[in-house]
Amino acid sequence: MNFHELFAHFGDLTVDGLTKGSIYALVALGYTLVYGVLRLINFAHSEVFMVGTWAVLGAYSLVGANEGSSVGLIIFATLLGFVFAPAASAGTALAVERIAYRPLRKKGAPPLIFLITAIGCSLVLTETFGQALHAIFGPPFGRAAVSIPSLIPEKEWISTSWLTVSNTQVIVIVAAIVMMVSLDTFVNRSRLGRGVRAVAQDPDTAALMGVNQDRVIMLIFVLGGAMAGIAAMLWTIRYDITKFDIGFLIGVKAFTAAVLGGIGNLRGALVGGLLLGVVEVYSSTLFSSNWEDVTAFVVLILVLMVRPTGILGESLAKARA
Amino acid sequence: MRRNKWLGLGAVAISLGLAVSACGTTDNKSGSNSKGITANIGVMGALSGANASVVIPSVNGAEMALAEWSAKHPDDHIRLVKFDSEGDPAKATPLATKMATDKSFLGVIGGAFSGETRATKAIFSGAGLTMISQSATATDLTLKDPAPTFHRVIAYDEIQGGAIANYIKDILKAKTVFVVDDSSTYGQPLADKVKSVLGSLVVGSDKAQTGQTDFSAIVSKAKAANADVVFYAGYAAEAGPFAKQLRDGGVKSQFMGGDGLYGVDFPKAAGSAAEGAIVTCPCIPAEKIGGTFGADYQKKFGEAPGAYAGEGYDAMTIFLKAFESGAKTRAAVEKFVDNYQGQGLTKTYKFDSKGDVAQSNVVVWAYKVKGGQLVPDQEIPLS
Repeated sequence: MNFHELFAHFGDLTVDGLTKGSIYALVALGYTLVYGVLRLINFAHSEVFMVGTWAVLGAYSLVGANEGSSVGLIIFATLLGFVFAPAASAGTALAVERIAYRPLRKKGAPPLIFLITAIGCSLVLTETFGQALHAIFGPPFGRAAVSIPSLIPEKEWISTSWLTVSNTQVIVIVAAIVMMVSLDTFVNRSRLGRGVRAVAQDPDTAALMGVNQDRVIMLIFVLGGAMAGIAAMLWTIRYDITKFDIGFLIGVKAFTAAVLGGIGNLRGALVGGLLLGVVEVYSSTLFSSNWEDVTAFVVLILVLMVRPTGILGESLAKARA
Repeated sequence: MRRNKWLGLGAVAISLGLAVSACGTTDNKSGSNSKGITANIGVMGALSGANASVVIPSVNGAEMALAEWSAKHPDDHIRLVKFDSEGDPAKATPLATKMATDKSFLGVIGGAFSGETRATKAIFSGAGLTMISQSATATDLTLKDPAPTFHRVIAYDEIQGGAIANYIKDILKAKTVFVVDDSSTYGQPLADKVKSVLGSLVVGSDKAQTGQTDFSAIVSKAKAANADVVFYAGYAAEAGPFAKQLRDGGVKSQFMGGDGLYGVDFPKAAGSAAEGAIVTCPCIPAEKIGGTFGADYQKKFGEAPGAYAGEGYDAMTIFLKAFESGAKTRAAVEKFVDNYQGQGLTKTYKFDSKGDVAQSNVVVWAYKVKGGQLVPDQEIPLS
């Protein structure tokens, strides 16, 4: 138990945890949106994130940006990444919904079938990327981790004895919070958002009131996918790496974050994500890094024992405009 | 519609039948031959995946030894059969069972990694199938828990760990060291050995996990420790991103790793962050191997020999010499290998009762990453 290190670097560690947590939170939104409306745990969402990270690499290679590029090209490539990644992720999420879930919904399949289908989609996407990238682009693509150019060089903006904050940490945290506030506003204030809440509350009545259910469902997959895409972009800015199965662990963590905050609850995803990130970083300092997953899940279980529906409770439906 | 379905089923059945009979014909080929010997040698290791570059050169080396030998022995039909375990003990186990139960296999080169070797050596030993590993370096494989048919042609981690510690202490002259391992059966003991030799020089340590991609917590610790050297005991798949995130995080320490980082995968994954990193390996640089090995390898595979290429060649050669001596059964091969004495490309071989070569014959080399390539730096004194 290394309390000394924990207290000596408490500030650094907290910022680090919040950075990690912001990415979890953005991915968690996808789980929460889909669960809130469909009561379906979309396990393929982790691969939606994975596709996003590859899209960033695609965007960078398309314009030929690397660490040594000019400032103009770096800014252009970064912006392109912020367009490509959400587009690719949203596209993947939408494809999974259209190809896999919608036909099942039309046939009124029981929830278990959806769950298995989701896991199946996840495996199909991971393995396809593991095999196809290698077949198309050859090495270094394949099952190995591929490094993505770190276009934004890491700089320390604040550097005191108890707190260091780097530019990428600020970018990740700020971008994540901006995205989440916009999504929350969209769902709570806009007309389309009202449709989402209506379907979440009572799909049949919503349909009777003239809400197009299929369009709402497509919308939530696109929204969740786009958030995962932004998360993928932020991930590459901070960690510069991807691989075919990168989504798995992040997906599990993000799902945990969603449950921790209260699945189905958008603000819960934020609270759960940040809490999980911070707990992980603290525990890896207190014990050692290979204990972070254990601690994360112990905390989850403890929280669920006290509040079985998560910290903020589960309700997309009950959010009021 | 219905008819189409049946047609389809029929087609599937026919193709299945063809496939099965095709397998049958190839199987029949081996085993029945008038003159010479017909046998399979298996090679098991990570032939794909993030750590394949530590394994493939040794397989190429073995292939080269076989090709050269077969040219001189046209009556013998030895095949090198490759089994891709991805370095995963769970995937290696069924492959081992397959080789153990197939009587045409008279020897195995491998396992390439320690974890898969530990998981499979009982299976091979139970079937009396001789293993000669080109690169499984975990100490316990021979010293703590030896298997009767297991042999290896390289120094074990206890020796490599001591060499790494010597290098850090005497050559880098480091005053402070931060040690990270990947919690694997290879990384953990290696890190422990390095830590025990370095003693108070170690100012901090942490543990990563295989498959980890986000090393921010370890990076902040390494940063706080501000050590002269960061030593990573693990494989390239994790070392690449770790080294990169370490540099991004502003840690300027000398980066160093064991033979798990040997090969092109580490510099490729870490990019410019790998420059100047030291990688040790109980394998001898190809240019130090006498004769035409380096040039022949380059000609055959279009690249310079990588990790354990010479060792793979040697392992295969020992099996081939067994066949030359007339060994035609697993028991005969095992007996031959146990009593084998001879000079290979990389060292003089004579296995002790546990399956190790004499400590006085092994070498550990330090390599430095320059321009994305591993360049031999120097041989490390072992004591």
